[in-house]
Amino acid sequence: MDIIKWFGDHVSTLAGKDPVKARRLLLTGYRANTLMLKHTTQNQPSCRGEGAITLMKLMIEALSHPQNAAMVSLFIPCEPLLAAGITPYSVESIAAYLLGTRCETPFQELAAEQGMPETLCSYHRTFFGAATNGLIPPPAFMLYTNLACDGNMITFPALQDQFAIPSFFIDVPCDHTEDAVADVAGQLREMVTFIEDTTHQKIDPAALKKAVRRTRLSQTYYQTALAVSKKRRLPGSVTDEMYTALMGRCMLGSPQALDFFCTMARDISEQPVFTGKRLVWIHLIPNMQPALRQIMNDNPSVCITGLELCYDSILIPADENDPYRSMARRMVYSGYNGPARYRIDNALNVAQTTGADGCVVFAHWGCKETLGATKLMKDALEAAGYPTLILDGDGCCPANTGDGQMATRLQAFLELLEEPS
Amino acid sequence: MITFVCKYTPVELFAGFGVKTTVFDKSADSSSRSDQATHANLCGFGKSLLESALAGEIPELVLVNCCDVMRRAYDVLNTQSCCRFLYLLDLPHTDGPCQIERFARSLTALQKAYAQYSGRPFNTPAFLAAFSDPPQNRAPYVAILGARTGKDLEALIATNCPYPVKNLTCVGNRQLQSPPASCYETDPDALMYGYAQNLLNQIPCRRMADKSGRRSLFLDPALRGIIYHTIQFCDYYTLEYTQAARTVSVPITKIETDYTLHNEGQLRTRIDAFNETLQVQSHFQERNHPMDHKHYFAGIDSGSTSTDAVIIDGYGNLLSTVILSTGGGAKRSADEALDQALDKAHLTGEQLSRVIATGYGRANITIGDEEITEITCHAKGAHYLCPDARTVIDIGGQDSKAIRIDASGAVKNFVMNDKCAAGTGRFLEMMARTLGLSLKALCDQGQKWQKEITISSMCTVFAESEVVSLVAQNIPVPDIIHGLDKAVATKVATLVSRVGGEDTYIITGGVAKNPGVVSAIENRLHTRLFVSDQAQICGALGAARIAAGL
Repeated sequence: MDIIKWFGDHVSTLAGKDPVKARRLLLTGYRANTLMLKHTTQNQPSCRGEGAITLMKLMIEALSHPQNAAMVSLFIPCEPLLAAGITPYSVESIAAYLLGTRCETPFQELAAEQGMPETLCSYHRTFFGAATNGLIPPPAFMLYTNLACDGNMITFPALQDQFAIPSFFIDVPCDHTEDAVADVAGQLREMVTFIEDTTHQKIDPAALKKAVRRTRLSQTYYQTALAVSKKRRLPGSVTDEMYTALMGRCMLGSPQALDFFCTMARDISEQPVFTGKRLVWIHLIPNMQPALRQIMNDNPSVCITGLELCYDSILIPADENDPYRSMARRMVYSGYNGPARYRIDNALNVAQTTGADGCVVFAHWGCKETLGATKLMKDALEAAGYPTLILDGDGCCPANTGDGQMATRLQAFLELLEEPS
Repeated sequence: MITFVCKYTPVELFAGFGVKTTVFDKSADSSSRSDQATHANLCGFGKSLLESALAGEIPELVLVNCCDVMRRAYDVLNTQSCCRFLYLLDLPHTDGPCQIERFARSLTALQKAYAQYSGRPFNTPAFLAAFSDPPQNRAPYVAILGARTGKDLEALIATNCPYPVKNLTCVGNRQLQSPPASCYETDPDALMYGYAQNLLNQIPCRRMADKSGRRSLFLDPALRGIIYHTIQFCDYYTLEYTQAARTVSVPITKIETDYTLHNEGQLRTRIDAFNETLQVQSHFQERNHPMDHKHYFAGIDSGSTSTDAVIIDGYGNLLSTVILSTGGGAKRSADEALDQALDKAHLTGEQLSRVIATGYGRANITIGDEEITEITCHAKGAHYLCPDARTVIDIGGQDSKAIRIDASGAVKNFVMNDKCAAGTGRFLEMMARTLGLSLKALCDQGQKWQKEITISSMCTVFAESEVVSLVAQNIPVPDIIHGLDKAVATKVATLVSRVGGEDTYIITGGVAKNPGVVSAIENRLHTRLFVSDQAQICGALGAARIAAGL
């Protein structure tokens, strides 16, 4: 029996009748999973277990203490929240966990019934459906930005109306200039005032400084790990890679993320030399797609060494002596802000840093930001000598993916990389 | 000539250079260039724009970073250098003072870039003369809201509409005041600030953070109806439609396109049905025949799968019904169905006082005094079959619909599935073929299911491969069929939710005869469906009753 499917079915069925009870059941499952992860990850590099457990605990916190949680866009700098002791969670991370629990479909259907277009990013649809159902409780407030996709400008305003909670929006100009940095830094200051007003507590500037320092150190450790990955690999699954991407976004600035990246740098340096093929993965990883899991997990001859999704968050160095401008730079100079060439440059950088043999551009259904750039990315990466696969699929909605087709494409691409050049 | 795509484009600025502007509204016949340069899953407008620009048809193009697709269209065109002047204007998402200031700087940058490119001087009086006050016309009108429409679709909507049509879509409702007179004279920065402020103070599009200003679009006392347009893969507007459909007091319908008229037949049905809700009186005309046994009326429903004919007398008594396959063509099937119905009723064509044609093929058959959409006819027929019905679910061969009706059988609102076959009779036909079963066997075996199976793919092609995979896993066929029935029910439930469905429900169309689907819909909606013996001929019956003035 597929225990996760069985559990997911129970959660979604119960959610249709009593969302609060369904949330309790979900939390019970997640708590049990936290205990289980402590045992099941024992034989893996330490950082893999740390990542899995930290993010599981984050989900538990977000769902069990919503009054102390904030719903955020993936690209919002969360150091002020972490400094204030507030749990930040992104739409994408909650949706990814519901997918991992195999209960995403009923919430996607509910979102469609409520008028959410089926061509919208499935992470956003899943979250919206679960929030509409009541499985996801209203957080204390929400912080969002136009970075990096249109989905933010649809889901957040719709849920603000539905949850009736305060929200703060950061409008990031698309030019990569210091004027834009000053503009966004000003908005971040206003955001901190908003958080203070909403929570009725002051954010200690020293705590914020500490959080930004942790970001800087996390960046350094992650860069070290990436450089080492040119020779060695960190064993793990595609889900582990998603954990890394999530740690490199909303958790950046937390002690847990610092531990995670520090351990990662140590873990990878202790691994034997890897002689297989290295891939840079561009955009989200459809980590629950059977074809991808079957081909990539525990495959001794191929691994993902670089993630474009969080590369820019480590690329722009944090500076605790100028926290606001530093956080603003991370937004303004993000590869996801402005023309596609910035994402392409980041992909090229990470490919060079990690000695990649090829790149996979995941064309996530509904993400027009990425879909529109897929061909440009492929052309630029191949011109630089990196064979590139555009892999169509959907990270959070199996209904939009032909699993057999994905297996064929990915397998054929790996065979292509194996061919002597 | 500057081509632009967004109402926030500073077209008056170009008037200051003595340059004309035109909004891009062409829909492309094919998307081969665009698909090669980007990805197929972009909105049809973006693809049409790319097609034209990549073909070298747009020498000067000013884009606004309205959405992800426009940003990427700019990237592609910039890489391929196919426009002489290509500019992406950064538009803020809010209209606060900092954002206005930033937008003013962006406008100045555009002004400089165009001056440098064109070598033309900027003339402030010409710029100011380009502003015109919005017209103050309080006459009743029908609004097109939502995402932009091409000129062909706008013309199609306006053709039979009983009111003037106003295009108030994202690019259509451009209403701009002149900058305040105090800005005019000496300070170019103040002038640009005033201009930026007025551009941002327009009724917001759905991309803006504060959308509250859009309420005025739905509350105008002169508004008589709304056609709400959405474009596939443009995600900004669908939610607003759903919310509006639940609250507005005027008739509203949604049409979804890929920014082309490739599916004109289905579009026409929706638009005609909407017009019928605006001019109910003309169709449900005064009875001009005495209610007796000597006047006879016929309704013909020319569907994609079957053609149905019904003959009734002046009291509404059913004299004959015929159901034929449409396989031989709409006209031939309609002629044959009517002939057979006349034979069965022992009547001749001359004895028919009025004939109404409905259904997908209604425009292609020559018989009938008038054509009325199947939306209105199904509503009328359903009301007769079940007077308590308030929501009609019609699952036909080509499309499925949810229709909300009032106590008199008049249409209050309706929604139809989009172009794909998911949730229609065609979906079940294709799956029956995949399983090597007849439709009857599909119905029969579907009732013998033991275990819940979920077919997650809605796309017919993916669902087909999912079914093949389940067969390979030796999953019992009845369980697979039950999974397919649930997939149809899921699609129908979405339509019902969007139309604001309420008890009592009636199901019509050929799929009403499939108990597995009916049961799956009942489970999904947590209610019972009324299934009439006459469910399959409901549209033709409604047409006949409208013909009789009943």
